[in-house]
Amino acid sequence: MSAKPEFIDAAKAGNILARKCVKCGELHLATVYFCKKCGSKGFSNSIIKGAGKVVTYTIMTVPPAGFEDLAPYAWVVMELDDSGIRISGFLPNIQKPEDLPIGMAVKVIGFDNRGIVLEKL
Amino acid sequence: MEKVCVLGAGSTKYGKLEDSISDITIQASVDAIESAGIEPKEIQAGYISNVFGVADKQVHLGPVVMSNLGISECPSLSIESACGSGSVSFREAFANVAAGFYDAVLVTGTEKVTHTGTDWTTTYFSYCSDFFYEGQAGASFPGLFASMARAYLNEFNATEEDLASVAVKNHENGVLNPKAHLRKKITIDDVMNSAVVASPLKLYDCCPFSDGASSVILCNEKFAKEHSKDHVKVIGSGRGGSPASLQGREHLTTIPSTKIAAEAAYKMAGITSKDVDFAEVHDCFTVAEVVDTEDLGFFKKGTGATAAQNGETKLNGSISINPSGGLKSKGHPIGATGVGQIAEVFEQLTGQSGERTVNDAKIGLTQNFGATGASCAVHIFQSV
Repeated sequence: MSAKPEFIDAAKAGNILARKCVKCGELHLATVYFCKKCGSKGFSNSIIKGAGKVVTYTIMTVPPAGFEDLAPYAWVVMELDDSGIRISGFLPNIQKPEDLPIGMAVKVIGFDNRGIVLEKL
Repeated sequence: MEKVCVLGAGSTKYGKLEDSISDITIQASVDAIESAGIEPKEIQAGYISNVFGVADKQVHLGPVVMSNLGISECPSLSIESACGSGSVSFREAFANVAAGFYDAVLVTGTEKVTHTGTDWTTTYFSYCSDFFYEGQAGASFPGLFASMARAYLNEFNATEEDLASVAVKNHENGVLNPKAHLRKKITIDDVMNSAVVASPLKLYDCCPFSDGASSVILCNEKFAKEHSKDHVKVIGSGRGGSPASLQGREHLTTIPSTKIAAEAAYKMAGITSKDVDFAEVHDCFTVAEVVDTEDLGFFKKGTGATAAQNGETKLNGSISINPSGGLKSKGHPIGATGVGQIAEVFEQLTGQSGERTVNDAKIGLTQNFGATGASCAVHIFQSV
């Protein structure tokens, strides 16, 4: 059974569902099946607060289908505080690079047909 | 392991083509067969790389190609690995010839998408990303590479103008290539003043969507010698993988699969990056070529952009990068690109590359990846 429904529910609550390898302790997003470090399959769930900092991003002005009315917006790679896990998502209403310096604090606020949705803290 | 050679190569023009995907795939295959000087019945298997045949109402292209070559009994298969489909297909063909299963095979890459328009291509190409995290959240391919570009500009002493110099250089080369899609010279100002697609990348930082097909004949050394045609030796072949999504990567200014593939290919060839005379690399966006030339070992990490700006990668510079014009100017028919790079190397090493010839070249390298480099193949070729 895929963990995606559970992952999506967590994101809707502003959290990221991670999996901790019971053998070596490595943290992964809940969508993996085997540990990337030791190859083990045993995980315990770990709910991580969806707050972190911008690692990199783009501001989309020529968007794919479904995003036409939302441009410009940012697509962001962020690193979660404490865990070091990275996730990426949609961040609306970003016009120019000055609006979103690298390192800026952002958080997960939901999940919908735009995937993981972020906002500036 | 059998020694493997490229015996012939052919390509359609890259650009907006009128003919159907079946027709262009067959045309490129016929060109390669004629270039190799063989009869179709000498082909023992066909490898067809393609991503969006569905856009032109034809998937399962292999039997259509084989039937039109008069060899319907010949086995074939289709391979999809996003923009890296062509080189992966070549690799599978290489492995089968090297293993002794076949003496001679046809490898043809093909794509026909320009009739669908920019909206369709932007949307469907995004399905090559790790869609749950990337395409679904509004990231297009320009957007994903723009994110890498921002990371690069932030981490190293490089400017958007440095990236733009890659586009200028590749257009200079493409002007010399009669089969290139965009055959016009451009300036740094043209790039900087072009419309922003996904900041910091602008339209002229991006390769075009192209139609086109390329084909090569691959055979063992005995077969090549019996046919006494110009041929080149395949001396290295490597593949690698990276985390499918950018978020899964520790560093956003390098592509792990390129490094893995290059290391394997250099090892098989028994050479280092210093022995390579020229390379056809995967410059889907200007930043990609910069990252590629570092990952392949031509420049130290963080110095590739300045090297490009200084002219080191120009035709007959310290290392000629993308003498064909690259994806940027020659064009990027995604299923064909990896095979097209190999066709270029064949032409370069057999004296058929005209004005864009790399002087005294003996060793050429190709690097072609899928998506943001989630998959990659590197091949190394040597003149006979």
